[in-house]
Amino acid sequence: MTLLPLLFAIYVEGDDRDLAERLKRREPAAMGELYDRYGKLAYSLIYRIVRDTGVAEDLVQETFLRVWNRAQGFDAERGALGPWLLAVARNRAIDYVRSSGGKMTRGALELEAAEHPTVFVNFEADVLSQDRARRVRGAMDRLNENQRHVIELAYFEGLSQSEMAERMGQPLGTVKTWVRTALKNLREELREKAITA
Amino acid sequence: MTCDELRDQYELYALGVLDAAERAELDEHLHREGDPCIEGVRHARELVSSLASLAPQSPPPARLRNKVTGLVAEPKRMWSWTLVWIAATACLAVMAVWLNTSRREEQRALARALLDVQSRKVELARLDEAFALMNDPAAKQLVFGEGAPKPRGRVFVNPKQGVLLLASNLTPAPSGKIYEMWIIPKGGKPLPAGLFQSQPNGTAMYLREGAVDVATTGAIAVTLEPEAGSQAPTTTPLIVAAL
Repeated sequence: MTLLPLLFAIYVEGDDRDLAERLKRREPAAMGELYDRYGKLAYSLIYRIVRDTGVAEDLVQETFLRVWNRAQGFDAERGALGPWLLAVARNRAIDYVRSSGGKMTRGALELEAAEHPTVFVNFEADVLSQDRARRVRGAMDRLNENQRHVIELAYFEGLSQSEMAERMGQPLGTVKTWVRTALKNLREELREKAITA
Repeated sequence: MTCDELRDQYELYALGVLDAAERAELDEHLHREGDPCIEGVRHARELVSSLASLAPQSPPPARLRNKVTGLVAEPKRMWSWTLVWIAATACLAVMAVWLNTSRREEQRALARALLDVQSRKVELARLDEAFALMNDPAAKQLVFGEGAPKPRGRVFVNPKQGVLLLASNLTPAPSGKIYEMWIIPKGGKPLPAGLFQSQPNGTAMYLREGAVDVATTGAIAVTLEPEAGSQAPTTTPLIVAAL
């Protein structure tokens, strides 16, 4: 298990770098590889948010096309392709849910800033590794129900703390405490596990 | 606010759920080179990226891969090949139509030429007969319409070969009508001698074959008759050539 991040860094990240270069060169075959690598994860994430297979399919296409069109601005040497693509996928899905629910969506400038490929640089190589995924799930399991709930509302529904308070019928201060505690626990658990790993 | 005070907001910033004012404050820090918030937000983004693994695995439909790769398939090449095929098929179709049309046109032209040759042969034969009749010393030449505006010409009466009419200024018979030649015996009723039509330019050549008794014939006449012809003249003669 201790070798996994290293192997990931050597094989997966190396491949991502090459893949990113090919995307920048606009090689159509690279799109297929990008899908093979992140299609299932992107679809699962989008489907979890929108809960509709047809919409999820459309948003996956939109996500991959957006990445394809913006690959020129991606730093193939230092950039994290997977996290970037998943951020685009999440933003597309949350925006869809918010707009179909009649809520304010984020502005184009805000989205542009949140998804800009230069944001996803110098990431740890194992951000999307199986091992880290297990650690994240373990850390979530150790949160109490309210803490877990606010993290899910924030990540899968994109709710602000005020919106969460309204949704849960709880005072804003209470919700902020849950959020702060949950994120602190997650942060520390992942850091501790990473050190011990 | 200091970076220490903003620390709790790094993940919320990365999650995109901060209010506009809070976000703007953190944005300011992120634009300062070397600001500790930059590293903190990077770690927060890593954490947020990892949360994707919380989504239950849902296998995408197999068709989705084709849809995604189809978004960036090389349209130019695909189109160019499609265009090549369309162009080739169109060319073949045009060629086939053209060949078929030109073949039919050639067939029609050939048929027209054959008809023309045929009619020229008939005309030549008629001219041969006409010359033979005219050049026969026994033939009697009659002139009609001299000095008259129309119609005018000559009639050759050959006792053995028949009667030849050459006329000009003879307007083509109107629809439903035709010209009929009459051989009028001296003191007798006119005998029908055949039907003919003049050319659009007003000329006419008609040969009535068969022996003619010149001694008993008083005149050759032409009248305008119904298309089927008549047994006796029904109109005033247009041409009268007396022997």
